[in-house]
Amino acid sequence: MLKTFLASTVALAALTGAAAAQDKKLVISVYGFAQDEFKEIVYDPFEAQCGCDLVVETGNSVERLAKLEARKDDPEIDMAVMSTHDALAAARAGITQKIDVSRLSNYDKLYDIAKDPVGDNMGVGYTFYATSIAYRADEVTIESWEDLFQDKLKGRVAFPNVTTNQGPPALYMLGQAIGDDAASLEAPINKVAENKDDIVTFYVRSSQVAQLMQQEEILAAPIGRFAWGAYSKMGLDMAWAEPKEGQTGGMNVMILTKGAKNEDLAYDFMDFWLSTEIQTKLAEALVDSPANAEVEVADEIAENLTYGAETVKNLKLLPPDVILDNRDQWLDLWNEKVGQ
Amino acid sequence: MFQNRMEALALALPAALFAAFVFLVPVFILLSEGFRAEGAWTLAPYVDFFDSELNRTVFWRTLKLGAIVTAVSAVIGYATAWSIVTLPPTARGRMIGLVVMPLMISPVARTYAWIVILGRTGFVNQTLVGLGIADSPIRFLFTETAVFIGLLQLFLPLMILSLISALENMPKDAVPAARVLGANWLQVFFKVILPLTKEGLVIGGTLVFTGSLTAYITPAILGGSKVLMLETLLYQRVTVANDFASASIIAMILMVMSFSANLLLKRLATARNKR
Repeated sequence: MLKTFLASTVALAALTGAAAAQDKKLVISVYGFAQDEFKEIVYDPFEAQCGCDLVVETGNSVERLAKLEARKDDPEIDMAVMSTHDALAAARAGITQKIDVSRLSNYDKLYDIAKDPVGDNMGVGYTFYATSIAYRADEVTIESWEDLFQDKLKGRVAFPNVTTNQGPPALYMLGQAIGDDAASLEAPINKVAENKDDIVTFYVRSSQVAQLMQQEEILAAPIGRFAWGAYSKMGLDMAWAEPKEGQTGGMNVMILTKGAKNEDLAYDFMDFWLSTEIQTKLAEALVDSPANAEVEVADEIAENLTYGAETVKNLKLLPPDVILDNRDQWLDLWNEKVGQ
Repeated sequence: MFQNRMEALALALPAALFAAFVFLVPVFILLSEGFRAEGAWTLAPYVDFFDSELNRTVFWRTLKLGAIVTAVSAVIGYATAWSIVTLPPTARGRMIGLVVMPLMISPVARTYAWIVILGRTGFVNQTLVGLGIADSPIRFLFTETAVFIGLLQLFLPLMILSLISALENMPKDAVPAARVLGANWLQVFFKVILPLTKEGLVIGGTLVFTGSLTAYITPAILGGSKVLMLETLLYQRVTVANDFASASIIAMILMVMSFSANLLLKRLATARNKR
């Protein structure tokens, strides 16, 4: 009798213990890319450290943003990562809250541009990327953004759609090349429209460009550095352009939802992700370029990333409010001139 | 079978309620979105939609490609179906198996195969250049031609299968009788085969046309943003602009187009019957 009682008490304790561990739960919303690597480098070690469950939701920015907005009054997501302009949109919609950076022990290690890219501490940058032109060095040379429209590239070049994160920055740099970098992007959109028959496609996914390059369908395309890993392994003579106008790019930030149910865990998780150790591992796996300035990687790794104080300083990023405030007009103008 | 109508209705009620709540009500809510602006019922969103040149271009392109794919699949479908039904039973079974086979492969895989086949270094261009028909590789990808080829391959089996079953149900001696009475093959087709198999054509035509209008993967991969169709435009409106009103309008247009196509095909079939 006593034995049975003891056994059942132990079993009960084990069960409630397990239940308590499961109650500690952090829900995050992230991009769908490189999830295997993230699981190995970030999610699993964090779960082991916090003794909690990490629930990961993935999807594209618009879907995830729409979901956050729909659950605004009763958020299920505690923390999310998104582009700076989506984070600004979320902040304006009142979905997110100010991040108390004093609770992030790794905050001071970040590059300056990553510390408050959205403004008002509504987001902390955890990675950024350069956007420039990937091209076949054995076929063409590219020294300016305008070189995308050289004769040799007629019918052999892809350009990012204005709806992608690469589109507006690429248009902005093209504007600089043709001497008109107004925020309306009118001049570069017109330039693309004039040449649209010579552009193979306006891509929406970076994986699509890699395939077209591999198939030798195209010889050049503006891409984000985060996709470069695939190009350098193609066995083709690929080069990364350093146009005289400079390189552009984008940044992704972490945000904290307003009314997050597991705020403490969310802070722990953000700090964990920003730590030198995790940022180094993510860099070495060529997943994300580090926003933590203390990260040091070997040259052949750095080659494939947006890395180093010098590179970071020279990125010409479009400010998030410029993107957010002009995005609808860009899409309208693009549809009118290019989309037909 | 039932003692009274009430009993029958009572039995049908749970299913009817289920269908109403999980299907009709959400569809109604979704579609009504396009008829509302600033809290009032209006047709203005539709007027605005067709006011845009891009939307008009996409609408006509979708209608045009849908019609061409349906017409071409009907022509190829009749020839294929006829040659299959005239085979002995074992061979016929095998041939039908071959027709069905592509339906078992994911449309994504099938469409990606076209990217390789139609590319600059793909089979089609190598053949054209090799035979001296073209001087340099022709650009097929991201053109209407590529979308047409992809859609045709995707939906042709549905047309063939509909026509095979229609042709199998045709009286076996109808064609020989017409031939004996002196009709040539063209007359046999238009005066005998077509009227007797029109139901199959209506079903096949509706499936192919509706399928072409609502296909997403094929136009997205083979056409991209340069060859937008209504379905890819719908996706763009929702995922890029979070604009559910336009999406609802496009969904409504697609439904109206599908129903109209079905009615039109039925009308054509009965008109021929009366003559």
